[in-house]
Amino acid sequence: MAASTPTGIRDEGLTVEQALGAPGTPVGQSNLWKDAWRRYRRNKAAVVAGTTFLVIVLYCIVWPIISPYSGNEVDFSIAKEGPSLAHPFGTDKFGRDLFTRTAEGGRVSILIAFGATFAILAIGVVYGSISGFVGGRLDNGMMRFLDALYGLPYLPFAIITLAIIGHTDKWTMMIALSIASWFTTARIVRGQVITLKENDYVRAAKAVGARWYRILARHLLPNTLGILIIAIFLELPAVILGEAFLSFIGLGISPPDASWGAMAQEGRATYRTHPIEIVVPSIAIASLVICANFIADGLRDALDPRTKET
Amino acid sequence: MALLEVDDLRTHFFTREGVVRAVDGVSFSVEKGKTLGIVGESGCGKSVTALSIMGLIPKPPAQIVSGSVKYEGRDLTRLSERQLEDVRGREIAMIFQDPMTSLNPTLTIGTQITETIRRHYDVSQKQADKKAVELLEKVRIPRAAERLGDYPHRFSGGMRQRVMIAIALSCDPKLLIADEPTTALDVTVQASVLDLLDDLRHEYDMSMIIITHDMGVVAEAADDIIVMYAGQVVEHATTLELFDNPEHPYTEALLGALPQLEGANVREGRLTAIPGRPPDLLAPPKACRFAPRCRYAGSDDCTEHEPELREIRRGHWVRSAHPASERAKTPEPQQVGS
Amino acid sequence: MLKFIVRRIFWTIPVLLAVIFLTFMMMRQIGGNPFRHTERAVPEAVQANLERKFHVNDPWWKQYAFYVKGVATLDFGPSLVLRGQTVNDIIKEHFPKSIELGVYAFLFAIVVGVPLGMIAALRQNTWVDYSAMFFSNVFHALPSFLVATLMIYFIALKAGLLPTSGWTSWEHKLLPAIALGFAPMALFARLVRGTMLETLQQDYVRTARAKGLRYRRVVGLHVLRNSLIPVITAAGPLLGFIITGAFVIELIFNIPGIGQYYVTAVNARDYSVVMGLTVLLSVIIIIANLIVDILYGILDPRTRDART
Repeated sequence: MAASTPTGIRDEGLTVEQALGAPGTPVGQSNLWKDAWRRYRRNKAAVVAGTTFLVIVLYCIVWPIISPYSGNEVDFSIAKEGPSLAHPFGTDKFGRDLFTRTAEGGRVSILIAFGATFAILAIGVVYGSISGFVGGRLDNGMMRFLDALYGLPYLPFAIITLAIIGHTDKWTMMIALSIASWFTTARIVRGQVITLKENDYVRAAKAVGARWYRILARHLLPNTLGILIIAIFLELPAVILGEAFLSFIGLGISPPDASWGAMAQEGRATYRTHPIEIVVPSIAIASLVICANFIADGLRDALDPRTKET
Repeated sequence: MALLEVDDLRTHFFTREGVVRAVDGVSFSVEKGKTLGIVGESGCGKSVTALSIMGLIPKPPAQIVSGSVKYEGRDLTRLSERQLEDVRGREIAMIFQDPMTSLNPTLTIGTQITETIRRHYDVSQKQADKKAVELLEKVRIPRAAERLGDYPHRFSGGMRQRVMIAIALSCDPKLLIADEPTTALDVTVQASVLDLLDDLRHEYDMSMIIITHDMGVVAEAADDIIVMYAGQVVEHATTLELFDNPEHPYTEALLGALPQLEGANVREGRLTAIPGRPPDLLAPPKACRFAPRCRYAGSDDCTEHEPELREIRRGHWVRSAHPASERAKTPEPQQVGS
Repeated sequence: MLKFIVRRIFWTIPVLLAVIFLTFMMMRQIGGNPFRHTERAVPEAVQANLERKFHVNDPWWKQYAFYVKGVATLDFGPSLVLRGQTVNDIIKEHFPKSIELGVYAFLFAIVVGVPLGMIAALRQNTWVDYSAMFFSNVFHALPSFLVATLMIYFIALKAGLLPTSGWTSWEHKLLPAIALGFAPMALFARLVRGTMLETLQQDYVRTARAKGLRYRRVVGLHVLRNSLIPVITAAGPLLGFIITGAFVIELIFNIPGIGQYYVTAVNARDYSVVMGLTVLLSVIIIIANLIVDILYGILDPRTRDART
């Protein structure tokens, strides 16, 4: 870097031995993850986001089990109430406890989100690594195909996919969302594979006669792991929002089973008089998305410290 | 009166870990028409000195805490940013180390030259373009007129540096500061760029400060040399004098580290490296900053007090308790630390 | 330069054809004979006529060819549900409103987001920076229906300032545009701040200052031009976001645009409308990406030479 950085600043104070790790440890993998974890912990926002995320997930999993109410318990006598001790989020127009309902809805939304994300990763990794690894005309063709797919608008694509499948439940939603969003992950993986392919240790492996699937599995993919973890938390928000949008316009999971998006859609009817019905699930969605974003930022800084902010 | 007089300049960086005293009491002057060379290893503060003269240090962490930089009698450290903008490019120009990144990749080199001209002179675009072509020819870029509309990525490293020089000269500055102008270039290209700088300097009757860590460059280009170490000037003399009679142990070591083809200093096999590392400028030692690496440092003054810069001969200043000409009297040098 | 543009335009054609093909194949999956699957009963003779007219009994590639021909001549065929209306009619009626909404939202995002990011970068680490970034970090993740709902609740209902549905006067258009453009605005602010900070560190900025250029020019020309490049790249996918968001906003604010219509059409199994709208949206996205690519080429001369 140029002369404007004060080169007199003391560096981390590591001795050569410390930088290489304790004698005997293999240089690289183990220290990489520990370092990354340490760097992640230093990012306060990411830590808060990570904790909040876990808290939300736990709430969704645990609360319905211990709750005195069921999310489907209809009781018109207590309909449309505001927040109270008995009902921290109030009740909806059918008298259902929103606190429990939100947790149950969360289970669905989170399940769909993670499911779709893993599906996206699976498709993306397979497509991207084949394209990147084989290279040549196959790669060219696959990428051109991807270019064409990019031209399809996301939401309509998902809508049509759902229409083809015919009905909407958790699993079809996952499928529809993942089919519409795996392109970027495939590109990222392909890019990474191409970069790594040229690495010397891969050449060494080839020179020793290792088979291509072995090279892929043992050398290329583990190094892509970092990028994939980040990709998970980058795709999550998009998928969560996608499901929310689809449900909101009425194409989501049918009641009484609900995801947060479906809850928001139901809340539309009463938002002028009892806005809490739509606000609570919306905030839940927003919280999860914001946390995922901060976690992704934190992970990116932790795993790739080259990009620094002044 | 000298063209540029730097007096006890101190530039400190105020960071989270503490105050880094990058330039800690540097004084020198540059006469009209002369070239001053500033040498030292990375981190000694030479670049920060140059940037301080121009007022280009990053202002949030860095600050000129004391001292003065008098250009033609005016103290530049007291000028406002707007006034400095009038000085930069017009009176004092600067070229930097890496020509790859020092030019804006999205603007043509023509624009980058003419914008400088039009900033300081009230001329039309056509006139500025004409001047730009002249400048490019002067720095020996072939087919100058055609290349005016080219972007930097179309030029090689050496040519880019010439373009930088052309930009620097565009407003007839009286002083040119060249910060490691040849470091990023191939050896063969280095020579031609240095030649060019020398010719232009004479043609424009310009003063120059050339900053480098390469003793070879400075031997050829500079009239006077100051040697910097850990933010301070440790030796100051004319080029001839410095190379013939180096006084400071650090200077000797620098010269000893040069590969020699013949003469008294020829060693067999190894080059002498200087053991150790420069001191931490967050907390520089109260004593001589070079002491930990100096083979003549003993359990005397060096480790207690910081030596003053004193004139050991006419025109030759040194900051050391053990300059070469005083050493014959002391006993065998101790090998300290490593 | 011109060659570059022409080459880029040329490459969009196969992409477009592929998109139409994909949509077409997907629609065929939904039902072999669209007419037979409509909920309304159609008299036998009319059905036979319709089938003949729309080549329903021809092999699929013939149908595809006819459809492409139709698209090329901007004829998307008739609506299957609304008798007497062609898809073109529907598009003409609803589409402009959606475009307006999208454009306003985009403008809002740029006009507010970019300067916000610039100010944050130039006043780095001051309270201005921190508050701007906190604001955009949180808000760029908010689903637009949340923003819309909150805005409606506070501004329209409580304060009674602006109407909540319809699309006639500028008052109608303000809230939906802001609601839709809110998240993109925050995204732009983040992005611009990031790229500007990075650009400000670059060597060529230091050179520009060393030349004595006025700071305003240094920032306005040298810094901004290079900072905007990544921002423009982000603007392309952002368009997709605005389109999807528009669906929801139109629903909430009761704006009669194609977003609303799309959902209705899918539910009513009006396939030609669905296909027509999907193809149209794809065309828009492809054109937007094309414009982004071209702008990129204008701003960054290195890419012009680097094309394969």
